[in-house]
Amino acid sequence: MNVVLEGSGLVKRFGPAVALAGVGLAVGGEAVAIMGPSGSGKSTLLHCLAGIMKPDGGEVRLLGQRVDTMRERERSALRRTRFGFVFQFGQLLPELPAEENVALPLMLGGVRRGEAVRRAREWFGPLGLGGMEGRRPGELSGGQAQRVAIARALVTRPAVVFADEPTGALDQATGHDTMRLLVEATRGNDASLVVVTHDPQVARWCDRTVEVRDGRVLAGGPARDGRDRDGRDRGGPHAGPGAPGPYAGHAQGEPVTQVLPGADR
Amino acid sequence: MSGTLALSWRLLRGGGRRGLLGAGLTAVAVAVSTMLLLFAVSANAAFQGRADREAWRNPVAAGEGTAAAAVQAVRRDYVRDRYVTVVDVAVLKPGTAPPPGLDRLPEPGEVWFSPALAELARGLPAGELADRFPERIAGTVGDEALVHPGELVAVRGQAPDSPVMTAVAAADPRTGTAPKRVAGFTGSPTPDAQAYQALALIATVLMVVPLLVFGGAAARLTVARRDQRLAALRLVGATPGQVVAMTAAEAMITAAGGALAGAVLYGLLIPVLTRIEIAGGPWFASDLWPGVPYTSAVLAAVPLLVGLSAVVGLRRIVVSPLGVARRETPPAMRFVRVLALLAALAAVPALGAGAAAGVVAVVLGLVFLAINLAGPWVVGMIGRITARTARGPAGLLAGRRLTDDPRAAWRTVSGVAMTGFVAGFIGFLSPASGLLGDADAATLRLSVPAAQASRLTAEARERLSAADVAARVEVTGEGGRRILAVAVGKAAGDGGKAAREDDGTSGGPARAGGGAGPARADAAAVDRARTALDGLVPGRGATTAADEDLPGVLLLADIGTGTVVVLTVSFLVAVVSAGITAASSVLDRRQTYALLRLAGTPLKVLDRARRAETLIPLAVMGGGSIAVGVFCALPFSVSAVNAGGMAVLLVCVALGFAGVAGAGAASAPLLRSVTADPAPRPD
Ligand SMILES: Nc1ncnc2c1ncn2[C@@H]1O[C@H](COP(=O)(O)OP(=O)(O)OP(=O)(O)O)[C@@H](O)[C@H]1O
Ligand SMILES: [Mg+2]
Repeated sequence: MNVVLEGSGLVKRFGPAVALAGVGLAVGGEAVAIMGPSGSGKSTLLHCLAGIMKPDGGEVRLLGQRVDTMRERERSALRRTRFGFVFQFGQLLPELPAEENVALPLMLGGVRRGEAVRRAREWFGPLGLGGMEGRRPGELSGGQAQRVAIARALVTRPAVVFADEPTGALDQATGHDTMRLLVEATRGNDASLVVVTHDPQVARWCDRTVEVRDGRVLAGGPARDGRDRDGRDRGGPHAGPGAPGPYAGHAQGEPVTQVLPGADR
Repeated sequence: MSGTLALSWRLLRGGGRRGLLGAGLTAVAVAVSTMLLLFAVSANAAFQGRADREAWRNPVAAGEGTAAAAVQAVRRDYVRDRYVTVVDVAVLKPGTAPPPGLDRLPEPGEVWFSPALAELARGLPAGELADRFPERIAGTVGDEALVHPGELVAVRGQAPDSPVMTAVAAADPRTGTAPKRVAGFTGSPTPDAQAYQALALIATVLMVVPLLVFGGAAARLTVARRDQRLAALRLVGATPGQVVAMTAAEAMITAAGGALAGAVLYGLLIPVLTRIEIAGGPWFASDLWPGVPYTSAVLAAVPLLVGLSAVVGLRRIVVSPLGVARRETPPAMRFVRVLALLAALAAVPALGAGAAAGVVAVVLGLVFLAINLAGPWVVGMIGRITARTARGPAGLLAGRRLTDDPRAAWRTVSGVAMTGFVAGFIGFLSPASGLLGDADAATLRLSVPAAQASRLTAEARERLSAADVAARVEVTGEGGRRILAVAVGKAAGDGGKAAREDDGTSGGPARAGGGAGPARADAAAVDRARTALDGLVPGRGATTAADEDLPGVLLLADIGTGTVVVLTVSFLVAVVSAGITAASSVLDRRQTYALLRLAGTPLKVLDRARRAETLIPLAVMGGGSIAVGVFCALPFSVSAVNAGGMAVLLVCVALGFAGVAGAGAASAPLLRSVTADPAPRPD
């Protein structure tokens, strides 16, 4: 396995409370589900891996480069260019139409507006959002809004997508649909996926499950079955937006595509 | 109801640090509004007070068949560049109530000085002022009879048959009233006082309308922040009545605190405000204290209005529990709003210099409200244009946000827009100060009966030389009335400008050394001459052209002062409202901002978007309302535009813009702090 992102010996304390007590996790071009009871430290782990929080101990490396020692400005740029995020809800700007919400990360990266919107639109069909480009988040259902969020997370072609209970606010059927789209879309775009979930069935679409309890990793192992449970293959999104994003070979050095499995570009 | 109140109080206190911050913002807004509202109310009461205290010096003749209690004559005298109001009183009926400010009826040969006059008379050489009042000083005129603390007033007792009390009317009604038989010392407000009251009323409208708009916006702030929580309450089954009552109670608790703080602030500010000079003098502290009834009325009305405004803002949530949870494409503002403005503007040309102050105030108020109606429409328009043409993310965010909630954006800039309107209106109206040239301050003039002209000329020369004043005395004019002209500082017999049109009593070419500039005279010498000539013609004083211009000079100064006061108030409103709306919009959107930042959006972009959100509408609306203000001033414009004044006002407006931009920037640290939370949750 080519490790893309690796956290080792991660410790995080909030006052006297220990949220992470030495956690290690390596992700390499796969989909990893993080599971565990409430308050066990899943979100904290995700935040440390994504460079949102600085851990009190241990280190985080993206393609060998230390993330946890970077200054906030650099980590912010890293999050913008190399990571994608899907949260439970609320990450879409309510006043922007869906397509502009998706185009925003590209525009932040300097892509001209027309080009950014054009590239954003390419995601709508494959994600089953055809015709919803001009709608506001408030005019979308919860599942549709999450699919827009998925497009937004992937539009910059990040190395890793982080998702914290992305389907927590959806009903089970919609949640499963959305989750599968997320997994397939990240795979199709050669990105790794780290997803926090409570739903064991959701975890099954991932390649691997990591069990966190009291700030420690309990057990890890491949999901029983995954991608082909319903006979669906990982078609979809990656077929649509074919043009490589501006970050496909970003300044950080080696193009991500080289170390990702299934890199076909 | 008390249960609701208790729950509201707990909600208010339990809102956490940010909830309290939000309530604090509202309280600050209400405090500033209350303070300025009290000021606006007091300003009217203050002018009313001045008018009332001055009324007794504007005697009303006793009606036919009514027994007169006294004879009263009022004359305006001058010392240096100030008025001295001289009131001569001859009591006809003992037992009449004394004039205001006097402890008893004056006897002939007695004089009462106002404190300022007494001090001035002591300070200047007797020959310049004190000698005009040879009477025995019997007391001090009380404050209740003075327009302002610095006013120079003398009240003299006279015998009913003294020359002063039997003199004929002065040539110019502005310099005084002829002796009148009055039924009592009450009188009626002078026309000047009424004019000032009318101006104060207009100024009040200019200040109060933006204040109300601002207060309403502040109230809706509370609601906006509570939206989610209340919608949640509604979802768990609170009845609309309960939600409304709780919101109203919460807003009113906050507002009551703010209003109280505002009243205290205003009280602390009174000593500073009394120093604002209008109509030649500062104010009594009691003038600016609105009194218990007005204060309690304001203190009661402000929380009520805030509560009402909050309830109106709540309508949406009460109608649907999902209310604000769903964000949809907002319907565009209706064009009717602009039509309202156009309609209001159409009424403006009907106004004119002759229109009653009340009508002007109403039309101005309407235009004001219409601007406030049209504002959101224009902001929405600006938003659509900005969004369409935006290249970068900041412009796009700003444009979409403006389109999404034009009302919110308007709230941020409405203050400056309103101020722009005021500035445009007053700025265009202020007459140029150059209108009044350098008037002759050295030639005293006194109208004399033709028959006595030569006798009086001789006596004047005598008196002047006795007072050791070098002056040339001559008589000008035709017919029954002649003008005795006394050119102070010129050697007797020295020719001058005045001689050219004279009747030949003196002559000779002007001498270069004879004081070429007519205006430049020794003020002390002029006052000595005035004093020497005092009583030469009973009931009449000698005046220079500069003296006669004094009312105009004062009026110009007052317009300038009024403009500065009104603009200061509006800018205060504008800056505070901009700061508060900016801060509250950060609070309202903290989750979205935090998630954006979490996903790596640079704060710089968010800040730039927020700046554009304010500055673009600010520039457009500020400029637009200045133009509307100028348009509204057109019907009243009597003189050429005062370029200097306009420039000063534009500088003021620019300062206001800077203030608003600064107030918006002040919320940047707040943005930093709310987005620092790595795990933002909706509360
Ligand atoms: N900002 C914070 N301040 C203090 N304690 C915190 C903070 N964030 C997390 N914690 C604590 O750290 C521990 C782990 O929190 P974390 O949010 O990672 O849990 P989680 O596994 O994501 O739970 P859930 O499934 O409920 O989301 C908890 O005990 C929590 O109380
Ligand atoms: Mg969590």
